[in-house]
Amino acid sequence: MERAEGETPRIGVFVCHCGINIGGVVNVPKVVEYAKTLPNVVYAEDNLYTCSSEGLSKIKEGIGKYNLNRVVVASCTPRTHEPLFRATCEEAGVNKYLFEMANIREHCSWAHMHEPEKATEKAKDIIRIAVAKARLIQPQKEPEIDVTPSALVIGGGVAGMTAALSLAEQGFRVHIIEKEPELGGMLRHLHKLYPTMQDASDALNQIIKAVGSNESIEVLTSTTIKEVKGFIGNFEATVQKVNGEATNLKVGTIIVATGADIFEPIGMHGYKEYGNVITQLQLEQLLKDGQLKKWERVIMIQCVGSREEKGRTYCSRICCMTALKNAVLIKELFPDTEVYILFRDLQTYGGRYEDYHRMAQDRGIKFIKYLQEKPPTVVSAENGKLTVNVYHALLREQVTISGDLVVLSTPLTQHEDAKELSQFLKVPLGSDGFFFEAHVKLRPIDFATDGIFVCGTAHSPKDTAESVSQALGVASRAAIPMAVKRLRTEAITAMVNENLCSGCGTCVKLCPYGAIEKDAKGVARVTEVMCKGCGVCGASCPEKAISMCHFTDEQVVAQALAALGRLIA
Amino acid sequence: MESEKAVLVVGGGIAGIQASLDLAGRGLKVYLVESSPSIGGRMAQLDKTFPTMDCSMCILAPKMIECFRHPNITLLTYSEVQEVSGKAGNFSVKVLKKPRFIDETRCTGCGECAQHCPIEVYNEFDMKLGIRKAIYVPFPQAVPLKYTIDDEHCIKCKLCQKTCRAEAVDFNQQPQIISLSVQAIIAATGYELFDVQRLSEYGYGRYKNVLVSLEFERLLSASGPTGGHLLRLSDGRIPRRIAFFQCVGSRSLKGGVSFCSSACCVYATKEAILVREHVPKCEVYIFYNDLKVFGKGFQEFVTRAKDDWGIKYIRALPGEVIEDSKTGDLTLWYEDTIENLTKDMDVDLVVLCPALVPRVASKELASVIGLELDENGFFKSKDPLFAPVDTNVPGVFTCGYCQGPKDIPESVAQASGAAARAAEVIALGAGREAH
Amino acid sequence: MTFEPRIVGFLCNWCSYAGADLAGVSRISYPPNIRIIRLMCSGRLDPVIVLETFAGGADGVIVMGCHPGDCHYVEGNLQAERKIRMLKKLVAKTGLEPERLRLEWVSASEGGRFAELVKDFTSQLTKLGPSPLGGEKPDTKILAGVLAARATAADFRLRVLVGKEKGLIEDGNVYGEKVPEEEFDKTMEESIDAEYLRNRIYLMTQDEPLSVKELSKRLDLDPKAVLRHIVVMRRRGWVAIDRVEGTTPFYTALKVG
Repeated sequence: MERAEGETPRIGVFVCHCGINIGGVVNVPKVVEYAKTLPNVVYAEDNLYTCSSEGLSKIKEGIGKYNLNRVVVASCTPRTHEPLFRATCEEAGVNKYLFEMANIREHCSWAHMHEPEKATEKAKDIIRIAVAKARLIQPQKEPEIDVTPSALVIGGGVAGMTAALSLAEQGFRVHIIEKEPELGGMLRHLHKLYPTMQDASDALNQIIKAVGSNESIEVLTSTTIKEVKGFIGNFEATVQKVNGEATNLKVGTIIVATGADIFEPIGMHGYKEYGNVITQLQLEQLLKDGQLKKWERVIMIQCVGSREEKGRTYCSRICCMTALKNAVLIKELFPDTEVYILFRDLQTYGGRYEDYHRMAQDRGIKFIKYLQEKPPTVVSAENGKLTVNVYHALLREQVTISGDLVVLSTPLTQHEDAKELSQFLKVPLGSDGFFFEAHVKLRPIDFATDGIFVCGTAHSPKDTAESVSQALGVASRAAIPMAVKRLRTEAITAMVNENLCSGCGTCVKLCPYGAIEKDAKGVARVTEVMCKGCGVCGASCPEKAISMCHFTDEQVVAQALAALGRLIA
Repeated sequence: MESEKAVLVVGGGIAGIQASLDLAGRGLKVYLVESSPSIGGRMAQLDKTFPTMDCSMCILAPKMIECFRHPNITLLTYSEVQEVSGKAGNFSVKVLKKPRFIDETRCTGCGECAQHCPIEVYNEFDMKLGIRKAIYVPFPQAVPLKYTIDDEHCIKCKLCQKTCRAEAVDFNQQPQIISLSVQAIIAATGYELFDVQRLSEYGYGRYKNVLVSLEFERLLSASGPTGGHLLRLSDGRIPRRIAFFQCVGSRSLKGGVSFCSSACCVYATKEAILVREHVPKCEVYIFYNDLKVFGKGFQEFVTRAKDDWGIKYIRALPGEVIEDSKTGDLTLWYEDTIENLTKDMDVDLVVLCPALVPRVASKELASVIGLELDENGFFKSKDPLFAPVDTNVPGVFTCGYCQGPKDIPESVAQASGAAARAAEVIALGAGREAH
Repeated sequence: MTFEPRIVGFLCNWCSYAGADLAGVSRISYPPNIRIIRLMCSGRLDPVIVLETFAGGADGVIVMGCHPGDCHYVEGNLQAERKIRMLKKLVAKTGLEPERLRLEWVSASEGGRFAELVKDFTSQLTKLGPSPLGGEKPDTKILAGVLAARATAADFRLRVLVGKEKGLIEDGNVYGEKVPEEEFDKTMEESIDAEYLRNRIYLMTQDEPLSVKELSKRLDLDPKAVLRHIVVMRRRGWVAIDRVEGTTPFYTALKVG
C-alpha cells in the first residue's frame, strides 16, 4: 500500500549507534532529542545496529505505529546500505524514494574521533540536512519497458556469426545483416589461421553451415542499414537490400560486428609502383590460391602505416603473427626460399606466440630489428629485383638485402561507412577510428547507449580467438535484457516543462546518452528510459525548463540552507 | 529432481565477478566461490589500471558490491571446491567453507575487534609489506565486509569476542561442507607471480630494494603500507632513480616459462608514470626486450610515457644486480643492444616484472574437475580459436588469465563469453524457449 | 572565540563522496567544518544553487567531482568545471571573495586527498575571515551583488553560453566554424559584465524607480554605460519609465515572465 503524493510529510528519524563506532563519539541520545525538534519529524529513536534484522524491524514498526511516510536513517554511508533500507521501507508500504540517509559515521564519527562535541553538533547538522530534503521528496516510479527478445547483428563475419549462434542457442531470434553478397567477412580471404594452422575456409564453412541451418537465425546479405530508431528493448531498424526494398526489423538489442578494412599503403615502399611489392593480405591470397611463385628471397616489412607518430598511431596487433605464419608457410612450400622479417617490436604475446616465434626461428626465418626513426627503404632495380635498405638496429649498421618479393604488413583500419553507421546508432568512434566502448576496462564490449554492443575487429584489431571471445561476450551481454523480458529503468530522471522550453537544443547536445531529442514541435523531450539522471541538462538549461527528479533545485537549496542552520518553514 | 538453474563460478576476481553478474542479471542463480576472505582478486590490489589510469578500486568496488547485493548471487568466500561429479546440466559440487570463527549473519564489519587484537601479521593484500591483525578484513572495501580470524596466528586471547557488541565471534565454528547442484561451471582462478627468488642473479629476497611489481604497486597505492608515499622500505628514503626489469622469468627456456605474460610492458609503463606523478624528479628506466604494445591504446600510452613523462626505455635485459650492503643502493649491469655497449647503472630501487603464471590452486581445481591443462598450466581450450572458453569437460568453461595471459578488458569480455556458453548449456537442458 | 568557517560541500556520488567515505573508513581526521550534500554528478550543480548557498551565509563552498576522464556520466565533471569558471568571474563582481568557491577532483580512493583539501580550505577560510553575508547583519551591498549574480546565473544568456561552450569550441557553430577559445572567453567575459550590471539595475529599480544619474552613482559606473544597459533592458521588457522629472526619466523594474 503506497501513500499518496502531496501529503504532509510525517518523518521518522532512526539514529544508529553502530556499536560504538558512532555512539562512542557522537552523543546519540542528544541527537535523537534534537531530531524530534525538527519540522515534520513526528518520531525519532536510536538503535544499536540499524542494519541488523532487529534494526530493520524497528523501522517497519515505526512506520506502522506512527504512520510515517518519510524515513531518515542516520548511520553509515548510503553507498553501502541505502538499497537495504529502501527495500525495508518498501516492505512497510513506503515508496523507496521517500527514504533519505544521513551519513554520521564515515563523514562524522570516524573523521572526528577526538572531537566528540563537535562531532555531535555536526551529526545534528547532517540530520537536519537530511530532514530538509526528506520534507520535499516525492515518491518515484521506476519505468518498466518490455524487451523484444530478438537481436540484430550487423556484420556476418566470424564475430557476428559466433554471436548469432550463441544467442540462438540461448533461445533468442537473431537477424544477421551483411553488406556483402555472402557471409564470412575477413576470414574468406584468409588461408591458414595461427597458431594452430587451421584452414580458414574449412572453419568458416562450418560456421556458415551452422548459421544457415539454425532456424532462429535470419540472414540478410547484400543488406545495409538505412535508419535506426528507438532504445533498448525497442529498436526499430530499417534495412535495405541492394536494389531491393526496405524492411523494418523490430529488435531488443543490436550488435555491431562490422569488422575492419585493411590499410592500403599507396605511395609507400613502392606499393603498386614497382612490381612485386604487395600487402600481407595479398600474400595470403596467393598462398590460398596456390599462386605463390618460388622466389629466392622474400622480405617482409612490419609496421607499414601503423605505430606512426601521427595518424595511425596504434599497433595493429595481428601483423607480427600473420607475418610469422606466412613466413612459415612459405618455408614449408619452398624450403630454399630465404625469408626476412624486418620488425620494430615483435608482438608475440600470450601463451603460444613466443613458442611460435621460436619455431619460426628454427625454420631459418631471419629477423632484422629496425628503428622507428630509421625505417627501411625499398628501391626497384632494372632487372625487376627489389633492394631493401635498412639500418639493422642490433648490428648497428646499414644493411642491404636484395629480394624478389616485398610484403608490407599494414594495419587494420575502420571501414569507410562506419561513420554513417555510428551516426545511425548514435554510438561513438574513437580517435583511432574504431568503435569506442562504454568503458575501456570494465565495459569493453558495451556501448554507453544501453542495448547496443560491439565485438571483433570493429572494436580494435584482434585475431580469430580474440574475436570469438568477444563475440561470445556480446551474446551474454545482449541476452541479459532479452532474458529478463522487462527492464526497470532509472527513476531519477530529467523532466522538461514544455511551456518553458524555447527549443535552443543545448540539452540535446549535452546529454551523454542521447536521451533528449527535439520533438515535432521543436520542444525538448526526454526519453525516460535512456536518461541516467546525471543532471547536466537540468543544470544547464537556459530557460530552467528542466528539473531533476529527486534532486530538484528546491531540494538541493533546502539542503544547503539547512547546512547553514536554516530550515525553510 | 527439478533443480533451480544455477552456475558455479570458481574465483572471485574480475573475471569471476563479471561472469557472475552477467548470469545473475539474466535470472540465473550463481554460486561464487572464492578462496580468500573477500572477492576482488588482483584488481583490488592495483592502484591504477592501464592505459586509462582509472583508479582500480573505484571501478571495481561497485561491481563487488553488486555481487554482494544481487539476490541471485550467493557468495561463498573463504571457501574451496572440494569435489565435482556429474555432467553438463547436472553437476554435484561439494564446497568446503573454511571457518572464519565469525558468525557472518551477525558481523557488521564495524572493526572494533581488530582495534583490540594484540597480534600483528604481515598482510597478503600488501604482498606482506603492510600489517594486519590476526582478526582482519583483507582491505577496507572487502566484500563481504565480514571479519575473519586467521587461525594460524590467533593466540585465542578472545579479546575480540569480549569487545564485539554484535556477539559475532564464535571460536567453536567448524569447517562446513556445502553441497550444490549446478548445471554449469566456470573456472576463473586468475594468476600469481612467478617465484623470482629462484632467479638469484636479481637478488630478490636478498636485497631489500629489489621488489616485484605487485609489491611496488602496493607501495604506490594510496591504500598501501606507506599511504601512497613512494619510499624505499629499507631506509625510508625517496628514490631518485628506479629501474624496471621486464620479462623476469618470462619468454625464457631456462629457469622460467616460455610464454609472454602480455600485460607487463604496459603495467610497467603505468607504474613508471605513477612514479613520475608521485616524485617528478625520480628518473625511471624500463629495461625491455620487445615492447608489447599490441592492445587498444597501448602504443599511445607508451608514447605518452616517453614524450610527456620522460620515461626512458632501454632495450636490454640486465644481467646482474649488486647491492651496496651499507646503503642498500643497487648497481645493475646490462648490455644495451641498440648502442652495443655494456654499461652499469646505479639505482635506488629495482622493480622486477615477473612472469604471471596460473595459480597452483588451478592445478588442484583441474584435478577435482578433470580439466586438462596445457604445457604452461593454463586451462586448455577445447579449440583455441573457435571454442576458447570451452574446456575438455562439457559444461565446464574457463575465462580470464587462467585461460591464457590477458589484461582486464579481455578478461571481462571473455568472462561474459563463458557466461554465454554456460547459459547455452542451461537453455539446452531446459528446452529452448519458444518465440 | 575563534571563527569557525561554515563550509558547504557538493560531492558527486561516484567519486568524491566515496573519497570522503574512505577518509572516514581510514580514520583520517580533518576539521569538522564541512557539511556535505550528495549529488549524483558534479555536473548537476546549477550555478544558482551555489549563489543561494553564499547568500545563505556560507563561508566557503567546495565542489568535488571525479577526475577528468573518470566521470561516471562521461563528462559531467567537465560541465561542472565550465560552470565554476563562469561562477568565479561572476562572484568576483559582487565583492565576495572568489576564493570562497573551490572546485577539486577527488577520486573514490583518495581519502587522504579529501581530508587534506578540507584541512586546507578550512585554514584558508579561517584566515580570510567570516563571509560578509554570514551572521546576523549581512553586508547589504554584497548581498545585493550576490542576489544580482544569482539572477544573472538563472538568466538565458550566460546559461546558453556555458551550455554551448563545448560544442562551439570543438564542433563549431552552425556554419561549421570552430570558435577559438580566446574568442569564446572574451564573449563570456563581456556577457558576464553586461548581464550582471543589468540584473543589478533590475533589482535596484525593483525597490524604487531610479534615474540614470542615481544608478550611475550607486553602481560607480559611467552614465553612458548605464544608459546602454537601460536601452537593452527596455527592449527586453525588463524596465519601463515610471515617471519623468524635468528632463530626467526614472525607471522601474517590470515583472518578467
